Amino acid sequence: MNNHTIIRLENIDFVYSECTTLFNNVSCDLMEGGFYVVRGPSGSGKSTLLRLLNRLENPSRGEIYFQDRSFSSIPVHELRRQILYIQQTPVVTDGSVKDNLLLPFSFKNNKNLALPDDDQLKKMLDDFSLDQVSLEKQARNLSVGQQQRLCLIRGLLLSPSMILFDEPTSALDDESSRIVELMAETLCHEKGKTIIMVSHREFVPRLVKPIIIDVREGGVCILP
Amino acid sequence: MEQHIADIGPLQLALGLIFILISGLASMAFSLKLEKDLLIGTVRTFVQLFIMGYVLRIVFAMSNMMVVIGVFAFMIFFAAWTIHGRVKDRQIRFFMPVFLSMIFSYFLVSYIVTAVVVNVKPWWEPRYFIPLGGMVIGNSMNAIAISLERLIRELKSRRAEIEMKLCLGASSREASQEILKNAMQAGMIPSINSMMAVGMVFIPGMMTGQILAGSDPLTAIKYQIVVMVMLSGSTALGTLLTVLLVRKRCFNKDEQLVLRPD
Repeated sequence: MNNHTIIRLENIDFVYSECTTLFNNVSCDLMEGGFYVVRGPSGSGKSTLLRLLNRLENPSRGEIYFQDRSFSSIPVHELRRQILYIQQTPVVTDGSVKDNLLLPFSFKNNKNLALPDDDQLKKMLDDFSLDQVSLEKQARNLSVGQQQRLCLIRGLLLSPSMILFDEPTSALDDESSRIVELMAETLCHEKGKTIIMVSHREFVPRLVKPIIIDVREGGVCILP
Repeated sequence: MEQHIADIGPLQLALGLIFILISGLASMAFSLKLEKDLLIGTVRTFVQLFIMGYVLRIVFAMSNMMVVIGVFAFMIFFAAWTIHGRVKDRQIRFFMPVFLSMIFSYFLVSYIVTAVVVNVKPWWEPRYFIPLGGMVIGNSMNAIAISLERLIRELKSRRAEIEMKLCLGASSREASQEILKNAMQAGMIPSINSMMAVGMVFIPGMMTGQILAGSDPLTAIKYQIVVMVMLSGSTALGTLLTVLLVRKRCFNKDEQLVLRPD
């Protein structure tokens, strides 16, 4: 972790259904290359925090900055490419593993990106312990744990600088969970990616020193 | 060519009710609880059609373009309101998009049919414009309601997939492309099916009416062909415009899906 701020939240309020306040005047800084674990009671807004960072939601008040640029000044597709959001339940589309991996490149906003070739895709699968999976296999036939890794690789092909994991292991067994957690640690430790992970599992990272983000009662607190 | 048309007297009209009476008795015998709806439906059929008959008589007699367009707009308003009632979701305000799409596409199609295809002068001649327009509205109203209901249901149930695509850089249009396609197909299939079955499986209502009224079957089929293609055309156009406009309202300018799950 270096001492550059990657994300700054400034006086963030988030109100939904017109009367329920989830966040009230939240301000905090997240550092580049940090490994953050988000904790807090259910319904306290852990997922919403991630959705705000990926701009799937807008704050009711306040401003969020990414690398000193306000969210509103960054084209939303560019921001989402930089700040990858991995959903709780993996979503794959009909078609092969390769079709799924190349899905992002079919979107107009990503047309300027270089299309990875089969060797690169294969290497990515190997790196994520999916060496048994062929590119031609139907993605829907993979196990949930394999699909989760497939989703992660699909997003990584866009070279994000930050990855948000929303309870990535909630649908997985212990072994698959451990693989995904280790992947997240490795991405932080070796590639310098900033990781924010909401996790219901008590997990103790081995490669990195985690920073706890505590979300409760309308506030977000970074524990030392 | 026109022959004398047998008029139906009040007594004969009342005799037609025997069939409703039989259905009502069957409903009671088998506890189907349909009696009330049957009664209301029958009364409404009588009242609404009689009112319509008198209104059309007045409108035909007035022969005024603004009145014809007014009646046409009123019919569309009523159809849009019916669709509004059938689609249960109230998160997105879709009445105006539906109404505007219907006005635009139905007017265009009805105008082309009366002015160019049937070549009526003036194009708004009420005897042609109102019945043809009415058929367009009545038929594609169902298609629009089906498409709209499908669009909203899938946008809600496939939220995770839409957001997955948005997160990977898709625009809201790309993220909902497949859902739009499904919604369009669901709306269009009945009218495509009826183009396939017409003449083989059923004789359409309008043609039946013309034949009963003494027209030559060959004249009747030509009108029917025009009507069939007109119905498909207006259904496609109306449905497409509606789903495009409503989809736009389901996302905001920041490419976020604003339609919430139930």
